[in-house]
Amino acid sequence: MKSLLKSLVEIPAPPGHEKELRDFVREEIETMADEIRVDSMGNLIVRKGEVREGGKRIMIASHLDEIGLIATHIDKRGFIRFTNMGGVYPSYLLGGRVRFLDGTRGVIDVEGSGKRKKVPGLDKMYIDIGAENENQCSIDIGDVAVFDRPWLDLGKRVVSKALDDRVGVAVMVETLRKVHQSPKRTPHESWFVFSNQEEVGLRGAGPAAYQLEPDIGLAIDVTRTGDTPQGVKMDVSLGEGPAIKIRDKGMLSHPEVVDWMIDVARKHKISCQREVLERGTTDAASIQLTRGGVPSGCLSIPCRYVHSPSEMVDWDDVQQAAILLEKLLFEPFLGS
Amino acid sequence: MDSMEMNDLLLDLLHVPGLSGREDPVLRYLQEIWEPMVDELRVSPLGSLEGVVRGNAPQPRPKILFAAHMDAIGLMVTGYQGDFLRVTSVGGVDPRVLPGGIVTVHGEEDLPGVIDQLPKALLPDSAPKDSVEFKYLIVDLGLKEAELKDMVQIGDLVSFQQPPLMMGDNLIAGPALDNRASVAAITIMLTSLQTRDPAWDVWVVATSQEEENMSGALTSAYTLQPDLAVAVDVTFASAPGTPDHKSYPMGEEIPLGWGPSVHPGLYRAFEEAAEEEDISVNREPLPMRSGTDADVLQISAAGVPTMVLSIPLRYMHTPVEMVHKEDIRAVAKLSQALIDRLDANFLSTLEWEE
Repeated sequence: MKSLLKSLVEIPAPPGHEKELRDFVREEIETMADEIRVDSMGNLIVRKGEVREGGKRIMIASHLDEIGLIATHIDKRGFIRFTNMGGVYPSYLLGGRVRFLDGTRGVIDVEGSGKRKKVPGLDKMYIDIGAENENQCSIDIGDVAVFDRPWLDLGKRVVSKALDDRVGVAVMVETLRKVHQSPKRTPHESWFVFSNQEEVGLRGAGPAAYQLEPDIGLAIDVTRTGDTPQGVKMDVSLGEGPAIKIRDKGMLSHPEVVDWMIDVARKHKISCQREVLERGTTDAASIQLTRGGVPSGCLSIPCRYVHSPSEMVDWDDVQQAAILLEKLLFEPFLGS
Repeated sequence: MDSMEMNDLLLDLLHVPGLSGREDPVLRYLQEIWEPMVDELRVSPLGSLEGVVRGNAPQPRPKILFAAHMDAIGLMVTGYQGDFLRVTSVGGVDPRVLPGGIVTVHGEEDLPGVIDQLPKALLPDSAPKDSVEFKYLIVDLGLKEAELKDMVQIGDLVSFQQPPLMMGDNLIAGPALDNRASVAAITIMLTSLQTRDPAWDVWVVATSQEEENMSGALTSAYTLQPDLAVAVDVTFASAPGTPDHKSYPMGEEIPLGWGPSVHPGLYRAFEEAAEEEDISVNREPLPMRSGTDADVLQISAAGVPTMVLSIPLRYMHTPVEMVHKEDIRAVAKLSQALIDRLDANFLSTLEWEE
């Protein structure tokens, strides 16, 4: 799964530009799917299994897109002004490098370079791709870029851009593989949705849920941690196992979904953390609101430095998350 | 419903817990109360209670939906700090009123706790001295850390331990009057509906999760697809220091919501019904969103003409919210009056004309 994750993070996919990554994932899973399609939003939707005794129709979503930048103006000297696609923190940009979808690389700096003490807003920043002037600049207004930072394997922990939410994508691909290879069949009809445009307002998952009308919704996404120096007060740490979301800023998880996840984790001796996240949300929040309402929850992978070019996850957490998701799909849902 | 029965209803509604997302206890209570009064009763996937009194008009019979959210604000455990608990809010709790408060922590069993804050002298210099943020509040259960971790888990809920108070003949105080006062109003309306023969189907919905993201009302409206919707909720009552243009006297007039989230034709229908029934009303400007279930009811499916009825309430989002019982009755009476005026032609006369 590690080499899969490395391949996933290296494909750029800012919101609305998920095609290359979607094609890669499709190639990876095509043979394991009972049904596969891409909807009008660009969500990649895969069915595995059908509802049997004690089973439900479950939608599982991880998002393909990552936060990115979009060029808004090219000045006469070839400097590129830009704005954010999704939650980009100015402090994570300074001195950083970005890559446009055509492969053009550039560095980010700020007006009054070298003089500033405080981190300014994005409107004071620019991307320098080394162009000599406007005419030499290969980038057009509307071209999009992502962080350019190499994958770093620290052994137990891995660091990369876009682990939010490629780690969820990897967990789902791995789980689909295990379900496919298993001699047993799951009781559930599982719909694996690789969603689009999560970072700009959870926009892909809702329409997917509308099409699929699931009984239960589950997002697989990263969550923050409170285990760094002077970090936020939050009782989720790297390496203590995947987290089961009780709530975040956008959603109260359904109690029966939470109980199902906790019970299955306990039964299979997978250690988990209980997550109360006070900022941010996931695709589960938009699945929950679909049609007449979908009881929803989220399986989270603890992640440090979310939305930075160097997000960090614990490899055991990632593997345990994949095991828990697999077990969930083989266990009946005892809620109503 | 006589005044003794109404007192009992209110006291019961204030005693049963039901914080946002965990409305089960109040849901079960209402199921029992509403069951004999409705033709059909069901629970939505997100935990709203939906009941209907069928009308006598021929099919396709129009439907009106009355929504009052049953969820209450409270606290949620976010972590441990030695022998203490850290908490955050469920819904918009006002942290200024929390220190010194008594709470019930819904752990392995219900446990009493007190909320305290660090002494002023121990707060960091950067902390504001005049109001206390959540990060400086702790809940003390008098237990040692190991015991605490045994009994309480992250994500467990904490509710205000404040028994309801009957004050004088007319006022009642307690936590969760936002919005159990309105749940009481639509319940009283249901009792009066028993002796009527409405033309329309009347849906009453005790919605879930209003205080978080209004997901209960949004999803019930999608399922039920009403032709008209009315959100019953609380608004700011006058009290010393409240500006007159943002607060409403208790026990005198029912504030009728007026603004983009209210359909002007439906507003006028309520105004006329009030005049004919001699119910005092005034106008409550809602310049942006109403901050009630109306905001999501209105834009459900193809759009729904929507109205907001308010019960004035003092000390909003504190454990000692206070309302006037006459206001609850008046809202129930006005709702019934509107239902009485719904006939087969009502919708065809409804126009968005300010």
